[in-house]
Amino acid sequence: MQKMSFTRGKLLGSSHHWRGYATFMIAVILAVLILPLFAPHDPHTVQFLYRLKPPSFDYPLGTDAMGRCVLSRLLYGARLTTASAMAVVVCASLIGSLIGAIAGMVGGVLDRAMMRFCEGMSVFPALAICMIIAGTLGLGLKAVIIALMCVHWTDYARVVRNAVIVERSKPYVMAAVALGARRHRIAVRHILPNIIGPLLTLSAYSMSWAILAFAGLSFLGLGVEPGTPEWGLMIAESRNYLRDYPRLVLAPGLTIAAFVVAVNLLGDMLGDRFRVRQINYLH
Amino acid sequence: MASRLIARMTHALILLFVVSVVGFALLRLMPGDFAEILLMAQMDGTLPDASQVQQFAASNGLDDPLPQQYARWLFALLQGDLGKSFITDEPIINDIALRLGQSLILAVLSLVTALAIAVPLGVLCARYPGSKIDRIAGMISVIGMSIPNFWYALLLALLFSLVLGWLPTGGHGTWAHAVLPTLVIATSVAGVLSRYVRGSLLEELSKPYIRTAKAKGASRLRTVLRHAIPNIAPGLLTFSGMQFARIFDGMIIVETLFAWPGIGRFLVESLLNRDYPAIQACFLLVAASYILVNLAVDIAIALYDPRTREIV
Repeated sequence: MQKMSFTRGKLLGSSHHWRGYATFMIAVILAVLILPLFAPHDPHTVQFLYRLKPPSFDYPLGTDAMGRCVLSRLLYGARLTTASAMAVVVCASLIGSLIGAIAGMVGGVLDRAMMRFCEGMSVFPALAICMIIAGTLGLGLKAVIIALMCVHWTDYARVVRNAVIVERSKPYVMAAVALGARRHRIAVRHILPNIIGPLLTLSAYSMSWAILAFAGLSFLGLGVEPGTPEWGLMIAESRNYLRDYPRLVLAPGLTIAAFVVAVNLLGDMLGDRFRVRQINYLH
Repeated sequence: MASRLIARMTHALILLFVVSVVGFALLRLMPGDFAEILLMAQMDGTLPDASQVQQFAASNGLDDPLPQQYARWLFALLQGDLGKSFITDEPIINDIALRLGQSLILAVLSLVTALAIAVPLGVLCARYPGSKIDRIAGMISVIGMSIPNFWYALLLALLFSLVLGWLPTGGHGTWAHAVLPTLVIATSVAGVLSRYVRGSLLEELSKPYIRTAKAKGASRLRTVLRHAIPNIAPGLLTFSGMQFARIFDGMIIVETLFAWPGIGRFLVESLLNRDYPAIQACFLLVAASYILVNLAVDIAIALYDPRTREIV
C-alpha cells in the first residue's frame, strides 16, 4: 500500500495536481447541476407579449424574439453544452486511449497503420466530417455526440501512443518486465498512471474543441433540435435581429468565448503542472 | 526524384481508393434500406410497399453483392456520374461544377490574404521575441482560437455592413462581396500560420549560417529575407497545405452566413434536405481535393528544394 501511493504520488498524488483536476470537475458539476438553478425563468416559455424586451430586473439579459428569457436560456445552455462536451471527451478519450495504448505497446505494422490513419484524420476538415457523420446518422443530439466522438478519438490515440512509447523505454518498465509482469499489467498498472498528465491536459483542450464544434454544428442547424436552449442555436435564431438587437447575438457568443477561454486556460495550467509541452490547442 | 514522386502518387492513389470505398459505404450505412430510400425519393416521398422495393432493387442491381455494386458505382463515378439529386432530380455533377469555382476563389483569396498577414507578422515577432508586438500577437492568436468563427463573422458583418454600411451582408458577384468571407477565413488561418512562421524562423535564426552571414556584414533585413526565409519556405508550404482543413471548415460557416454559393453551403443544404447522393458527392470532393492538395504540395517542395530531390 505504502509503495503504491509512492509511485502514484509522483504525478497524481501531490496536492497541486489534484487541485487542477478537482477545479475542473467542480466547474463541470457546477455548470451541469447548479447553474440552471439560478435561472429566473423557464427557458422554454414562449411569451409573445414580452418579445425583444430590453434587460430589466425581471429579465436580466432581456428576452429574445419569442419572448424567452435570455439569461435562463444561457444557463440551461451551459448544462447542455457541458454535458455533451463531457460525453464526447469521456468516450473519445476511452476509445482513443485504448487504441493508442495498443498501438504503442504492440508496435510494428499495426502501430504504423494506426498512426498513418490518425495523422490523416488530424488534417482532414473535422467540421465537414462531423456534419456528414451526423447527417448520415439522422441528426439530433445523439448523432452529433457520436459524430464528434468519431472524429476526435484519433487525437487521444496519437497522444497516448506517443506517451506510451516514451514511457516504455524507461527503466521502471524494464524493472516490471524483469519482475515478470505481463503486458496488460504493465500498461494498466505502470504506464497508465505515468501518462495521466498528458491525458488530462489533452482532455481540457479537447473539451474546448468539443464545445466549439458542438456550437458550430447547432449554429448551422445540424445539431440540437430547434428551440433547444443551446448557445450556437441561440446565435442562429437571433441572426435576423443582428442590426436592431445585437445583444441577442453578443450574449451567447461572449458566453461561448468565456467558457472556451476558461477551459483552454485550465489546459495551459495542467500542461504547466505536468510539464506537457507537445500538446496544443486543437482548433 | 522520379521514384520519390511515383511513390507519392501511389500513396495518393491508395488513399483515393480508400476514400471511394468510404464514400460508397456512406450511403449504405445510413439507417433504413437503401433501395427503399432511393425509390421513395423518386416517388416524391410516398412510402413504397415491399414488392415495389424488391422489384426496384432487382431492376437496378441493388441485390447484387456489394463489391459488384461498388465496381459499377466506381466505373460511373470515373465517368463523372455522381448520381442524381433527391431534391432537384438533376445530375449532381452540374451543381458541383457551378459551385466549385466559387469555393476555389474563396479558398485562394483566403490563403493569399492569410499569408500576406502571417508572414510579415511572424517575421516581426521572431525578429523581436518578447517585445510588445510579439506578446500582443501571441495573445490575439490565443483569443482568436477560443472564439467561435461563426460568431466572429457575425460581429464583422454587424460592424462593416450594418453599422458602417461599407460592405454587402451577403451574396456574390462583385469583389466587395468577397471581402468579409475572405477576411473571416484568412484571419483564422493567419493566427496559426504566424505562430508557425515565428517558431520556425526563431529556430532558423539561431543556426550557425545566420551567424556567418551576419559576420560577413549582411544587414538584419538581408539575413532574414535572403538567408532564413528561403530555408523555412518548404516547411511553410507544407504547413499551408495542412491548413486545407481549417479553410474548408471556415468555408462551410462563411458560405452559409454570407450566402456565398460554394461547396460548403451546398454541403449544409444537402444535409438539411437529407439529399444523400449530394452529401456523398461533397464527401468525395472534399476528400479528393485534400489528397490532391497534399500531393501538389509535395511535388512543389520537390521542385523547389534540391535537397529533397536527392533523398530517394
